[in-house]
Order: sequence, then C-alpha cells, then structure tokens
Amino acid sequence: MKNILIILITLFFTTQSNAQIVKAEIIATGLTCSMCSNAINKQLKSLPEVASVETDLNTNTFTVTMRPNTNISPKVFKDNVEKAGFFVGSLVLYVDLDALENYINIEKKELTAINKLQIQILDKGFVTDKEFKKLTKKYKNSETYLSNNEEDFHFKVIN
Amino acid sequence: MKWLYSFLIFTITFFSQAQELFVVSDPASNIPTNTLSLRMANSFMELVNSNKYNYNLNPELTYGLNRNLMLRTTLFTSNREGSYTFTGAGFYAKYRFFSSDDLNSHFRLAAFGRYSFNTASVNQEAIEIMGMNTGFETGIVATKLIHKVALSSTVSFEKAFDNGSNVFPDYLGDNAINYTFSVGKLVYPKKYTSFKQTNINLMLEFVGQTINENGHSYLDVVPAIQFIINSQARIDLAYNKQIMSSVNRIAPNGILINFEYNFYNVIKKKRSETD
Repeated sequence: MKNILIILITLFFTTQSNAQIVKAEIIATGLTCSMCSNAINKQLKSLPEVASVETDLNTNTFTVTMRPNTNISPKVFKDNVEKAGFFVGSLVLYVDLDALENYINIEKKELTAINKLQIQILDKGFVTDKEFKKLTKKYKNSETYLSNNEEDFHFKVIN
Repeated sequence: MKWLYSFLIFTITFFSQAQELFVVSDPASNIPTNTLSLRMANSFMELVNSNKYNYNLNPELTYGLNRNLMLRTTLFTSNREGSYTFTGAGFYAKYRFFSSDDLNSHFRLAAFGRYSFNTASVNQEAIEIMGMNTGFETGIVATKLIHKVALSSTVSFEKAFDNGSNVFPDYLGDNAINYTFSVGKLVYPKKYTSFKQTNINLMLEFVGQTINENGHSYLDVVPAIQFIINSQARIDLAYNKQIMSSVNRIAPNGILINFEYNFYNVIKKKRSETD
C-alpha cells in the first residue's frame, strides 16, 4: 500500500516530459561492417547526455549508459543512428518508473519494479519494418499506436 | 535500356546474398552525417603500346551533409601531359532516396550527379570525367547487403564537353551510358572482437561504357583487396583490367591504390574545442 502511494505521489509530481533513462540498448539494422558500427558509436558518444557506449560488433548492439539525471527522448537515439546512415531495429530502455508518465504501456502489464524497469519501445522507427507491420496488426485497437505520433512512445515491459 | 533494367533486376534477385565500400563505384549508402572523409586515389596506368605509365593522383574530400545527402570534391592531377600537373576538379552529390533495412541486411537506392572540368588535351574516345574530360554524369545506384556480402549496380549517363580550349573532337561520340556491377565480401574477421581489428574485404567490380553514337563499348574487371584499419581508415589495392573493348583508350590497364581516412563528427568536435 505504501509503495503504491509513493508511486502515485511520484507520478503526480513528475513534470519532466522525457524519461530519466539510465541505460539504453540499441540494436542497429542494415550493417555488418565495423566501420559502419563505428559511425554509430561515434555519433552516440558525441551526445552530451551519454556517459559511455559499449558495442557488440557481432550483434550490432550498442549499450549506452547515460549520465545521471539526464532527460532524453528515445527519438534522440533513433535520430543519431539514422544520422550515421542506419536504422534502429530494437530499443530497450532501463528507466525508473516515475519517468514513464508520458509513455503508453500498450500491453497494460502491471509495473512491479520501481527502479530500472526494462522496457522496449515499439513505435515506428524503433523496431524493424517487418516487426512494425506485425505490431500494427497486434495493436490494431490502439488508436494512439496507429496514429504514429512522434511524441508518443508505446512500450512493453520486458523485465 | 531494357536489358540494363533486366540486368539490374537479375543481379538483385539472383545473387541475393562489407563489402560495399567499393574501389571504383560508389554504393547507394552514404558516409555518416557530419563525417569528413579524405581519400588519396592513386592510379598507375600502363600506356598502350608503350612501357610507360601514367600516374594519376586524385585527392578527394567527402562530407555527409545529412543522412541522405553526401557531397564530394575531387582534384585531378596527372603526369599524362608530360609533366605532373593539376588538370581539373569534380563535384559530386549522391542522394539516398530509398532504404529497406533489416537486421544485417539492407537494400538501398540512390541518385547521383557529377560535374567535372578538365583542361588537359582530349586524347581518347572513351569518356572519363574523373580526370580526363569536362562533362557531367548522372545516374542511379542500387545496393543490396546481406550479412557479409554486398552487391551493387550503377547505371548512368555521361556527357563530355570541350576541355576549355582543348576542343572535344567532332568525330567522337560525346555521350555514353556507363554501368557497373560490384560484389564485395568481408573475409576477415570471422568474428569481431574490437573496433581496432583490421577488416579485410575482397571485391570484384565490372565497369563498362557504351558510346551512344556508335555503340563502341568497353568492359573492365577490377579485382581488389581492401583493409579497414581501426574502423576509421581504409587501404584499397586493385588492378583494373580491360576484358573487351571496341573503344579507343590510352591506358586501360593498371594498378589502383587508395588511402582513405574518416573524421567522424567533424563540426561538433570543433565546437567542443572552443567551448
């Protein structure tokens, strides 16, 4: 009960429009060369909010650790991967619950943890084109999902 | 034109399987936004019926203006005219207008245009605005990447003008269709361990031209080995070999050696230095 109260109070008083993202795991698509990965690596590292980037070149996974208390929109990750000439195939964020007020919990799964929730962003441009087509069918009853508004982020809880 | 289209479709469907940083042709992908790339393109071309070589050095600067648009300036220098001189420059832009990407694969299309000027004398029938003729070229490139293999094909129209006071001869056809087909394969490493690891790509390119006025054509094959160093620099070693030709050319065969270095996030870097 106490926990729920705390969550409610925190949600109520959070005014930041962007989530406090602790860490992001980005899988980039459309590349297999290390020079291409390096382009994304350098692009992400150039962001002032980013503390470090670790790259798995075999899976093209970029683990981005953010500086403490930084607000960043998931769109920033997408834009920077695209600037390097590639696309986001998957974006998993490690966020605190109080930062999710503007995000849409599309599967409405109960959020049990408060810290370091692991969520995947499901909007267009954050999953592969094939995946997006599947999701469009799956979430055909969600008006916000189908509207493709760039400011709305839909997520599902992974952990 | 119909067979060219069929050829394109054929290459895309049948060979469906980096790879795409080719030596002669450019892929549909561009260099990253805000990246500056410096290339020193050297070629040692054997003069026909002579044991002499033409040495050409074309320094090249490429900049990624945004995710879809890339700009390039090339300077042409050569000892072709007797002494080693600057003969001209070229300006190139490529716009990627279609991308379909999936994990470890992509299919991309881009359109490009190039204008070059050259002051050297016109001494061959083949049209080459990369160092020999004043003129323009415009075309389309399609690139397919699947895992470690890249396939790319270009079709373009090229037209030559007078090289300043060196007039383009009336008896030569001044426009042509160019086509390229390139395959590249990443052969090393099998598994990546770090950005510092040298990558080795093997490539094979076919480069052809048909002069529209008389149908005179040539076709070259260019095998190459490429080393990507520290995920930032590139060395290409290639040999350009003419396999058929009905076009007069002064030096169709020779060695190509490129050195390239990429400077990522150039403009931001400057800003943070002044901060």
